[in-house]
Amino acid sequence: MAMAGCTATITGTIMADGAVAPAALEDRVDPAALHRLLAWLSPSFPVGAYTYSHGLEWAIEDGTVATAAYLRAWIGALLAHGAGRSDAILFRHAHAAAARGDGAGLAAIAELAEAFQPSAERRLEANAQGRAFLGAIRAAWDAPALEGLAAALEPLEGPTYAVAVASAAAAHGVPVEPALHAFLAAFVANIVSAGIRAVPLGQTDGQRIIAGLGPEVAAAVAASRGRPLDDLGGAAFRADIASMKHETQYTRLFRS
Amino acid sequence: MRSVDEAAAGGGGAVALERARGHARVVFRRTDGRDRLDTFYQQGCAKVRLPRVEPGRPPEAVLINTSGGITGGDVLLYEVEAQAGASLVATTQAAERIYRRSAGIGVVESRLAAGDGARLDWLPQETILFDGSALSRRLEVDLGAGAAFTAIESLVFGRTAMGETVRDVALSDRWRIRRQGRLVYADGVAIEGDAAAVLEGGATGGGARAVATILQVAEGAAERRDAARDLAAGLPGEIGVSVFAGLIVFRILAVDGRALRAATVPILEFLCGRPLPRVWHC
Repeated sequence: MAMAGCTATITGTIMADGAVAPAALEDRVDPAALHRLLAWLSPSFPVGAYTYSHGLEWAIEDGTVATAAYLRAWIGALLAHGAGRSDAILFRHAHAAAARGDGAGLAAIAELAEAFQPSAERRLEANAQGRAFLGAIRAAWDAPALEGLAAALEPLEGPTYAVAVASAAAAHGVPVEPALHAFLAAFVANIVSAGIRAVPLGQTDGQRIIAGLGPEVAAAVAASRGRPLDDLGGAAFRADIASMKHETQYTRLFRS
Repeated sequence: MRSVDEAAAGGGGAVALERARGHARVVFRRTDGRDRLDTFYQQGCAKVRLPRVEPGRPPEAVLINTSGGITGGDVLLYEVEAQAGASLVATTQAAERIYRRSAGIGVVESRLAAGDGARLDWLPQETILFDGSALSRRLEVDLGAGAAFTAIESLVFGRTAMGETVRDVALSDRWRIRRQGRLVYADGVAIEGDAAAVLEGGATGGGARAVATILQVAEGAAERRDAARDLAAGLPGEIGVSVFAGLIVFRILAVDGRALRAATVPILEFLCGRPLPRVWHC
């Protein structure tokens, strides 16, 4: 459906650092797909990503995240046990439903994604970014296939950010592997950016964290492959609690 | 009525190694201004006791797994319903122990319903995961218009009083709560492998060995947020409270099962507005 021509070779490769490169990224990603992912998931895409910390601001206040090493560990846990894991599973299912033009199926996944947000602020973070993302895509990036899907998502507060990006990627013929990798990489970069401002840390520290988490992003992409929606879940309890406690944090730079 | 076979099929290959099976179903209805037993069914190792309750209190259904615990291949199905206008409290006789398995996964499925204007309190005691255990659990809830529902699920990793550390576990737990057919809350816990290591992280458990989620869907739940925060601030453990979509949710972490109870009991009594069922204190 939608634009043909975005293709990617699905193979994996062992990188020099021992990480398994996600299928599709090591080979040629079609320029049209690459162009979209770089634009849509750049910090300048108008979803207001910089206003959300995903609970990090409270973890900094609390002392849990006081250094670059702790920030890296915090984000690594989100990828393995938190929103990274769950969003990856939801992303794949949403992408598949959108790719086959299944509006009802996509709406059910979107409803689950919204209900799965553990707190008021995480719900806001997911829904407000998702809604803004979908609005910006529909306004500026033509794809007739997205219009029918967007109608199915209309009754929701969101859709959540993950569902919105997955839907747009599918409607534009961007394959799921690079799209999901880009989505999780942007998630990491956004939390690092919040950490740089709020800990605070230096820009070089931030880049080291993003570089270091490359294999963990790839692992989260790989771990979600073939997982049913029933496998949604994790163990990032303190990240959830952080987002709840952030609601009453006295000094706040972020909306979550 | 759902069958144990269907529940087993949802557990992913547990059937072949089946060990113990149980299926209990209890339904109360509201008739002539009183809550009355409508359906009572028990089979296998799942039993239900209906203790006498004090006048003015809603009926209690106490679920009992007579096999004494769960291990790989066991399948338990509980169905509990308060029909329109009825009130019901469901709890468990004791903490549920998930023992080391030789093979397979233990499957526990709970299907709850509260009809229009009904009130259902789902208050099972904690689940204790032993080292080497495997559990796949599901909580499915259907609520009618104006139904009030309060629930807790507590997980304790290891016999913490004995200093046990859980290095190997396969746990998956999922909640799906629907109000008038619409999914309003979903949650999942998934831990594979070294639970102690997973829970060591600052974003995961911060070294906690016990975790609980408490939820209430009810008219006026949102208005109780500030009182809930004040209560949580004075309790042990780490507690988050949030209100959204007409529900109030607590996430609680504690160092062990005892500390977890010190937090969960006051929260449940606050939400339910009455003491917990007597079995909680036995």
